[in-house]
Amino acid sequence: MIVPKRNPDVVWRLEKKTHETAWEEARKGGEYEDLGVLTLMVKGGIHQLNLVGAEIWSRIDGTSAVEKIAGEVGALFGWEGEETEEAVLDFLQGIAEQGWVTLEESAGREAAPMWKGTRKR
Amino acid sequence: MEGDPEAVITHLSSPVTVNWGITARCNFVCSHCFSRLDPSEEMSPEDALRVVEILAEQSVMFLNYGTGEPLLRSDLFPLTEHAVSKGLKVTMNSNGSLLDAAVARRTREAGFHSVGISIDSATPATHDAFRRMPGSFEKAVRAARLLREEGVPLTVSSVICQVNHGDFPALVALAKELGAHTIDLHNFKCSGLGGLNKEALDLSPDEWRRFYEAAVPLRDREKGIGIAFDDPILSLLGAEEKGKLVAGSVCGKLSLYIKPNGEITPCGFIPVTIGHILRDDFAEVWHGSKVLEHLRTKAAAGKCSGCAKFSSCLGGCTARAYAVYGAYDAPDPHCWSEDGPEIRRNTPSP
Repeated sequence: MIVPKRNPDVVWRLEKKTHETAWEEARKGGEYEDLGVLTLMVKGGIHQLNLVGAEIWSRIDGTSAVEKIAGEVGALFGWEGEETEEAVLDFLQGIAEQGWVTLEESAGREAAPMWKGTRKR
Repeated sequence: MEGDPEAVITHLSSPVTVNWGITARCNFVCSHCFSRLDPSEEMSPEDALRVVEILAEQSVMFLNYGTGEPLLRSDLFPLTEHAVSKGLKVTMNSNGSLLDAAVARRTREAGFHSVGISIDSATPATHDAFRRMPGSFEKAVRAARLLREEGVPLTVSSVICQVNHGDFPALVALAKELGAHTIDLHNFKCSGLGGLNKEALDLSPDEWRRFYEAAVPLRDREKGIGIAFDDPILSLLGAEEKGKLVAGSVCGKLSLYIKPNGEITPCGFIPVTIGHILRDDFAEVWHGSKVLEHLRTKAAAGKCSGCAKFSSCLGGCTARAYAVYGAYDAPDPHCWSEDGPEIRRNTPSP
């Protein structure tokens, strides 16, 4: 069981209005993927996540495992199955490579690298 | 999202950073200071707390005290504690002269996210002459050490100009030795006293090119300390800072400035008032100001027209262009790509 933890040096905020707009678009089947819903500042750099990334990020609390986060996010978007968990893990591995989160096994040991690739939102 | 300025402006609900001149008072009179000619009166402690409430309500992430010497304000620490309790990450720039062990401890206790100490040369006499204050180098270095002893994250802030552009590696080494996590090598701005002393202090476009050609490789290979320039003109060398999110100047796109009297300007170096923090709706200013709209949608003018770099530099530093030519869209006077810019004046009123 892998538990993501946020890097405490990452400063972030939800862009409330855009978050609402993105959800409106998502609910009616519109395009929301390119909307910057959550803004992060780390090491002097500034980045944004889209709606899916923001919903994952918001659920990282240091105790919730990937399975739980994937389940909740999947329910929000109507996604089911292992693919959702893989996609969430992909995303988390990507931002872990950026240093925004650490991935630890539930016993507290850092998880072995499972994935390499570019960051996804 | 990175590199798409229009998208970012649409989506950012408020500035990421607000630079706030909490006082106009200063115990130094530095030759380059942008605010010494500004007679603004500072806000009362009660009004300052209201400002914090407004910025917190707007989810501003970083609040940086600049202008004047912040440590001259008697309510600095209670104000900071309040801001921190509201979730703001608070930083300040100080000349360090008033920062003794007790103040360093108080700085830590108040919850400062980081503190920048101004040091402009690793040579004490050069720093003291530039700051026009004998003994100021020694005090600045002492302040930096005291902050680190308290565990306060430290940055060193330097203004690159004629007095130091050749010896910046020594400055970087000093900042590293002091334990700074970042050294900000600010490019000279010709606003305020900086405008009056431009001839003596500013570098020529070719000198800027040579400075960056030497400094960027140091930035890229230096592991022990971050070296930040925050200069859109770096696009000319293809050396933009990573994670920048917006092209060109960040002023009005990611940040705003509040003067000591509460007036809002796009940045401290652009003396164009676009609202008042206590009298106007902050969100309306951020989303509705025609000046900010102009800064976010700059058009290529003069030699920028047809320049391949325009999409990434957007004309360079807007503050410098405005200070020298009176037009936001004018090419940055530091730009070395060619000579003889043709300027058109098309600056709207706020």
